[in-house]
Amino acid sequence: MGEDSKVKESGKAQKRKRIGYSKGHKGAKKPKVLQGSGKKVKVDGRMKKLYRKRAREYNSDDDDDGNDNAFEDKAEEVSIKEKMNDERDADELDSENDEEKRHFVDDDEEEEGEIQSGVTKFVEGVRAFKLAFKKIMKRNISDDSLGPVLSGHQKLVAEKLAEEEADRKVKGEAKKEKQLVKEKGHLIPESFFDAHEKFLIGVARKGVVKLFNAVNKAQLAQKGLNPSRTKDAKELSKKRKESFFSELGRKPFSHSTSSKSGTEKDEDGPAWAPLRDNYMLTNSKLKNWDKQQHDAIAADNGRAVIESSDDDE
Amino acid sequence: MARFRDKKKKGFVKPVVKKNLKNVDHITGDKVPKSFVFARGKLPAVLRQLQMDLRKLMLPFTALKLKEKKRNSLKDFLNVAGPMGVTHFMILSKTTTGPYLRVARTPQGPTLTFKVKDYTLAVDVARSQLRPRCPQDLFKNPPLIVLSGFGTGEQHLKLATIMFQNIFPSIDINTVKLSSCQRIVLLNYDKETKLIDFRHYSIRLEPVGVTRRLRKFVQNHQVPDLRNLQDVSDFVTKAGYGSESEGDEDAATVTLSNDMGRVNRASTKSAVKLQELGPRMTLHLIKIEEGLCTGGVIFSEHGDGDKKKPESKEGGTAGNAAGNEDDEGITGEGEESETDDYEDANGDDNEMSEDE
Repeated sequence: MGEDSKVKESGKAQKRKRIGYSKGHKGAKKPKVLQGSGKKVKVDGRMKKLYRKRAREYNSDDDDDGNDNAFEDKAEEVSIKEKMNDERDADELDSENDEEKRHFVDDDEEEEGEIQSGVTKFVEGVRAFKLAFKKIMKRNISDDSLGPVLSGHQKLVAEKLAEEEADRKVKGEAKKEKQLVKEKGHLIPESFFDAHEKFLIGVARKGVVKLFNAVNKAQLAQKGLNPSRTKDAKELSKKRKESFFSELGRKPFSHSTSSKSGTEKDEDGPAWAPLRDNYMLTNSKLKNWDKQQHDAIAADNGRAVIESSDDDE
Repeated sequence: MARFRDKKKKGFVKPVVKKNLKNVDHITGDKVPKSFVFARGKLPAVLRQLQMDLRKLMLPFTALKLKEKKRNSLKDFLNVAGPMGVTHFMILSKTTTGPYLRVARTPQGPTLTFKVKDYTLAVDVARSQLRPRCPQDLFKNPPLIVLSGFGTGEQHLKLATIMFQNIFPSIDINTVKLSSCQRIVLLNYDKETKLIDFRHYSIRLEPVGVTRRLRKFVQNHQVPDLRNLQDVSDFVTKAGYGSESEGDEDAATVTLSNDMGRVNRASTKSAVKLQELGPRMTLHLIKIEEGLCTGGVIFSEHGDGDKKKPESKEGGTAGNAAGNEDDEGITGEGEESETDDYEDANGDDNEMSEDE
């Protein structure tokens, strides 16, 4: 289409211009410039060159055809009614009009060229848009749950959703596992009483009963005596020891400090220092704790300690 | 003039009460064992709850609101323990294999390390019961302790026995009031599984041979509903349905020497009834160390305890000597730190005395 545009500055014909274009830069340019200079007082040669170059660049697709093909081109241009070409046409027009020095006139649409270019462009653009829109609307789309807009990404979206789901699952599992580790060993009693619990309660109750009965015996014995009188106090201390140990079915220890009770069967050593209440509290030496192997394990100080003898249950 | 006044004033100055007295039973002079229950490392919420339950169990001679920080080392606790007269540590910790409980004597050990096979919180226990029971003064007195099945003659079990017996204050049967015996801690050793069942019960006494109706009447002090009865005598004579535990009562009856509450009078038969309070724990003794979480291994479940015995003994004695110095030498530097809420209920334990 470039060959269609003409330089009217010196009233030259189309052909001349064309020859000038095709001829190469050096030879033809000078006279042209001289011709042009008649009208325009000061047009820089270089500027002109630049303008021409630009023009040529715009029309580059047609330029290389040469002036021989100009008419063919024109015919072709007429015959082809492609929208895109039209669009390009408009663009060209626009750009050519921007160059103020020359009046570019399109062969086909001379009037339009003379009319304001912005309007033309707008009109053309609308047309293109309309066509594009029509094309899109014509497209056949299978209706889907994801809708027409996402149709292009349908697979992608589905994939993403699945991935998310899997991710969440993995995360949930990890969390659950962590929680399990945290609560490891935590047991919630499911039944009110099971056999083992009953057995344990029985053991504990036995201990309590033993202790309470011992306490009862011990305290009943000293009921009549007044502890403030020295004579009675002596009697009291004696009685306490005797009654308590007789009640427990064993003789009192010779050891002065061990006035404590014991509910024990297998005692073969009188010294049970490691089992004394103050054993570790006072001297706190564990040197020989394992030397005294024969020490009886016994309950001390009235606490009911049932040792392994309760095999009956 | 001023000088004279000064002199006069000095006469009225109150003698400084030794703080140390609090740690000692005022009649017998025995040391009252006190305890700290705390955690090493970060505990999940469930175990923190267990820690709280253990603290309640150890009441009244424990620090119920002991605050711990991440940067507190064992030494901090030890420093506080000296002036406070704390004799036992119960240390909860947690690894990936499960929770662990260490029971230690301060300041120089020994330390028993238990693996907590499983545990049940007091809340869970209460939830499983129809009527959970919690009288107001339940935790005002230390619990009794019953050790069962520990007399197998094994050394480490003996040590465990001593440890647990000394963790609660001793009682004297001649002077003890039965009304102060409200709770009981049971430790039951199973020979086959080598597991120790740790249970906590409340003790309740009920008179035998009295119908439920009468008992309730005496207890509640409310006017009974007599609409359906022909005569007042019916209220007394009409037998209510027997309780489910009537059968084993004769084995669990005691005769009281002194009155206990309104219902249980002296020299009447009473049935002992236990209700679980929780927490429950199933413990497995895995290690005994000579020091406080350090020192030679006296016993190990995995069998390497015997090998280490000879050399560990020497280390242990040295440590003990140092520990004895510590015992007197600890000054109250850390006093102000974490134990501001130390519950010293010495006032409550008047009846828990022991002579001789």
